[in-house]
Amino acid sequence: MASAKRKRDDQDAEDTTPRKLRTQPVEDENDSLSELEAQTPSRRGRGLLAENGTPRSILKKSGLANELNATPKSNRRLTFTTPTKAAGDETPNGTPTIVRNADRSARRKSNRQLIDRTINGEDSEDEVLGEEDALAQQILSEEEDGQTEKRDKEADAQEAIPVPDTPSKRPRGRPKGTGKNQLAAKARKEREPSPPTELPAQEQYFWQNRPGGNKTSNNTLTSQTLLNHDEYFDTMKSCVDRHEPEKEFLLELHSRAYDQWIFELEEGFNICLYGYGSKRAITSNFTAHVYQHLLDQAPYKGTKRTPNIVVVNGYTPNLTLKDVLTTIASATIPKGLKLPNQISSLLAYILDTLARDPPPHPLLVVINSIDSANLRKSLVQSTLAALAAHPSINIFCTADTPNFPLLWDVGLKAQFQFLFHDATTFAPYSVEIDPVEIVNELLGRSGRRIGGRDGIGFVLKSLPLNARALFRIIVTEQIKAAYMDDEDQDDEDVTATSQSKKKKNAPRTPSESSQGVEYRRLFHKARDEFVCTSEVAFRTLLKEFHDHQMIESKKDSMGTERLLVPFRTEELQMLLEELLLENAF
Amino acid sequence: METKKCYMYAPPEHESRPSKRQRTSESDPHAGLSERLKIYSKTWAEQEKNIQRTLEEADRATQGKIIDFVAANAPSEDAPRISIPTGLIVAGPSIASHGPYFERLGRRIRDETNSSYVVLTSGESPNLKTLLKILIKKVTSRIEEDDDDEDEIGRFATSSRRGPKLLNFDLGHIQEWTSRNMVQSIVVAIQDSEAFDTAVLIEMVDLFYSWLDRLPFVLLFGIATSSESFEERLLGKSLRYLDGQQFDVTQSDDIIEKLFRATVAHPDTEPHIGPNLCRRILERQKDHVQNIQDFVHGLKYAYMSHFYANPTTIFLKNDPKFKDFSSDAFEAIRNLPSFRRYVEEKLEVGDTRSVRQLLCSDNFLFEVIKELIVTVQDALSSLSIAAIVLTRIRESLGITPKVRLSNVWSRAASGELLDSPLLRETMLSIKKTPSDRLARLIDSLIGLTTEDVGRHAKEIDIPIDLEQLQRELKTLIEGNASSEPLRSQDDVRNESVRTTVVAQKVLLSKHKAALSEQDKAYSGIVARFCQQLESYFRFALIDTRTLFLYEVLVYDLKSPHTEVFQPRPRLAIERALATPHDYLGCECCGNMQDAENTLAGTQPATAIVYQLYLESGAIINATDLWSAFHAIVGKDDEDDQSQTMALFQRALAELKFLGLIRPSRKKADHIAKMLWKGL
Repeated sequence: MASAKRKRDDQDAEDTTPRKLRTQPVEDENDSLSELEAQTPSRRGRGLLAENGTPRSILKKSGLANELNATPKSNRRLTFTTPTKAAGDETPNGTPTIVRNADRSARRKSNRQLIDRTINGEDSEDEVLGEEDALAQQILSEEEDGQTEKRDKEADAQEAIPVPDTPSKRPRGRPKGTGKNQLAAKARKEREPSPPTELPAQEQYFWQNRPGGNKTSNNTLTSQTLLNHDEYFDTMKSCVDRHEPEKEFLLELHSRAYDQWIFELEEGFNICLYGYGSKRAITSNFTAHVYQHLLDQAPYKGTKRTPNIVVVNGYTPNLTLKDVLTTIASATIPKGLKLPNQISSLLAYILDTLARDPPPHPLLVVINSIDSANLRKSLVQSTLAALAAHPSINIFCTADTPNFPLLWDVGLKAQFQFLFHDATTFAPYSVEIDPVEIVNELLGRSGRRIGGRDGIGFVLKSLPLNARALFRIIVTEQIKAAYMDDEDQDDEDVTATSQSKKKKNAPRTPSESSQGVEYRRLFHKARDEFVCTSEVAFRTLLKEFHDHQMIESKKDSMGTERLLVPFRTEELQMLLEELLLENAF
Repeated sequence: METKKCYMYAPPEHESRPSKRQRTSESDPHAGLSERLKIYSKTWAEQEKNIQRTLEEADRATQGKIIDFVAANAPSEDAPRISIPTGLIVAGPSIASHGPYFERLGRRIRDETNSSYVVLTSGESPNLKTLLKILIKKVTSRIEEDDDDEDEIGRFATSSRRGPKLLNFDLGHIQEWTSRNMVQSIVVAIQDSEAFDTAVLIEMVDLFYSWLDRLPFVLLFGIATSSESFEERLLGKSLRYLDGQQFDVTQSDDIIEKLFRATVAHPDTEPHIGPNLCRRILERQKDHVQNIQDFVHGLKYAYMSHFYANPTTIFLKNDPKFKDFSSDAFEAIRNLPSFRRYVEEKLEVGDTRSVRQLLCSDNFLFEVIKELIVTVQDALSSLSIAAIVLTRIRESLGITPKVRLSNVWSRAASGELLDSPLLRETMLSIKKTPSDRLARLIDSLIGLTTEDVGRHAKEIDIPIDLEQLQRELKTLIEGNASSEPLRSQDDVRNESVRTTVVAQKVLLSKHKAALSEQDKAYSGIVARFCQQLESYFRFALIDTRTLFLYEVLVYDLKSPHTEVFQPRPRLAIERALATPHDYLGCECCGNMQDAENTLAGTQPATAIVYQLYLESGAIINATDLWSAFHAIVGKDDEDDQSQTMALFQRALAELKFLGLIRPSRKKADHIAKMLWKGL
């Protein structure tokens, strides 16, 4: 690996020297090397010695200080005394026969091969070397260091000599990337992508987004590692949180503010809690507190009447605005009256009733997770704001996401009239989220949702024959597509000409995004196999799969619909086997 | 309960309230709270009245004009209308205050003219049909029966007595309603005209125009930008149907200034808002919200915090008696920094006896407080008055740059005004003022009141004999024969610059022109006025922050105010995850900033994953993340990874829930980073 790189750097050095010819750099280099080799056979050892003994910078300095004669090293002298050789190198046609002969030697060949490889792609280092390569590597490995050393020294020498006769355009100094130090530094840099610490936030951003800087490994999680629901809950049950007392303390701390919050609500403000951790414990405790507080007061004290408090769990899926409004209506509007059906009319009706016949105290509406996905629509928020703006309604809500204030523009904010309190609890969002599900989705394993292959087997058993056939077609097509992808990639790997990993990755991305089967193609395929005759029938069959979450439909970058069975290829294969087995019966 | 969508709260069956009882048995932190809150509600009610009055007065002029406009455009029998009377109400960019404005306007229009008034907003009028339905519903105040969108076309909404039944977006409903209700005009206010779809507006104007012979429409457009840009949006045809008139509403920053004068800088307020907080509120107004309502809420919350959290505010009670206060209240006073300073000053003078009494005798302390609270209140009022006077002088002399009262006041309150360039500059310009302008200035100072206008404005008394000055000035001016006003000796026009060339050098020398007798006398008056003014300012503009009982009379804490109105939720979450110790305060993940290993395995799982997340690039391999996590949290001796995995899954899911990561399709098992900390 290192040797190949060095070779390339030699190449660079060659290129940057204007006197050298560019057409056949490899041969040129080899020539000069061979010349050196031939004349000073013992230099290698010395070079190594020098390399090991002295750091490069010092060597360089001494070279500069002593100018010409201080270092009687043969290699240096050699370069001085053989300017003709170098000149000879310049003429492309005048390649000496020695060189040609030398070219034929096995070492040359392997050398060139290595160089070719290096030029064509650094990445090939990662690839397993062929036997030949290994051999070549072995042959060269001993010399490699010595040679590079020589080249370096030559460069040093060139640098050291004042060359008045060359009108060189090359800036004085070592050609870029020649020095071993720099090489080493470069290698180190590439090996350690860990960022410099203590960067300011914006620098951190650019550092982490620098082009090519983001190399990640290709490791994947085996499907056994992730827990399914049963395992997860079993494990969580036995899990002991070492921070339980601290979390308790945080809750206790927040509970001291209950009276203050009641005061704030009474003064017409609404309250929004934010911060990390589930705040359900706080809301439920606070609700109980307010309930008791109200019980001790005028219209309820001494009577059997109880105050109304509406609680909305924003995180529950399928929660609709209608649910919220109906619950609020049931608390404000006397029973037996018919409620309007439409949301806007219902809202108007509620507000109207409250304005005409205000309750003895404002109705408290507690909303858990006001920023949850199903409450984010602007209609929902504006309706809630209209409720909040009413003097007879108090809103006490929690918000989980870090950017929730973006939900409200100036107008809505003015209506909400929120006071915000930091209520960090560190409590797990045990009710709000389903970790297993979310992680599966995050890592593209949503197929686990329906209970894996077994689940699909159960569903398919209950479906008619042509549905089963259709599913088989989808799976087959998807496996085919996956294989084709793989082949493409293999081809690419073999013929890889691009130098960077990134380039090689580039063509892979679209194939990833175009996973699954195109809707049209699938339909034609299904028709050809007499699974269905019309698109309507086809759709009906697909709907069944959709309902059981056996397939997912996605739009690719071109906007065409693609259908996808959410499993990995290995699992798909097993699935297909099962399907075929079943069909055999 | 937790999985229900929404429900009415019902307490759990078994009654248990241990925590509450526990707390009341200890020394009650809320002692005297209800008493203080009573004082609060009284003071705030007073303030709120002030605010309401100021707001109404700010709108009064424009609203009056609009009402006149509506009344003048009532249709008459003989002159059929050829275009829709349209008021373009340029209400300024603070859209949040448009709603309340149109509400106040509507109240007055309904009260003072015989019209029906309807406000339409863009949100409820996405298309013409919905707009008309809403309009009809609002005008006829018909409570709509159950109707579903689907079948309304085929169904006839109301039962009209004659003719075919009307669809529910037919303006015929309004015609029928007007024939029964006899209104002069139907005022339709388009609250946020910019947010309306232009096509809807054009169609609406066309339709209203075609009904103009039957329905007396008057249109009011709320405009946040300018009337020109509003006109540009409409077609020429629609513009021909409209007969427009523009009304400029007082802009919100002017109103804020007025409110400021009526509340914060009012000499009679009690308690005052401190300069720091006041600056913060004003800055927020200027930079972020531009919303009058918000200013009022900020003020209200300051009052609330002051009375809720500060036990010493109980001494703001009217007509205090010694028996009203508990010893705790006195103890609280003794803990004030300003009390400490007060006592130390006494010690320096050697007044040890009264110090002892202050410390030991509640009764003595009470008498001192009772006396001093009035003095300090006076000092605070005279500070406010001085600020008002200074602003008025600058206004009257037309000194640029214009400095608003809010600015002057907050500088005065923080004790910066006395030696400020602002004051010096003002004094210099007074010295140079010619007699006619000085006369005007003195007149305006004599007529200075606490508020700009209104019945509640009280006269402000400046301890300068302004009348005497005014009289002398008057006689002097009357004796002045020339048409030119009298000039003082500091006036530039009484100086001339003479240029002489001496030994090839140019010498500039100033020469005072010889003053006339009258000018001399005038200069005397100016000098006297300036001197008195200066000593007045020196007396009034003291640094009040060092006064005893300052904490009782002035609320100047940033802390709850900023967080409550300008929260930084993202920062809070990032901090909680990056340094959980800040919140948890536990020993295990304590301060290890010095050591490199800040990632202790004891931290909450999500915090660990988050910190790993911070270190990684834009896309993250979940497998590697897992192995890193496992290396930190996992125990070596256990074979079963499931517990660690469960924690990891939960942490990952929480990050996703918080919107910090999303799936990445670039590579298998990769996730993409969404938020960079601190940006």
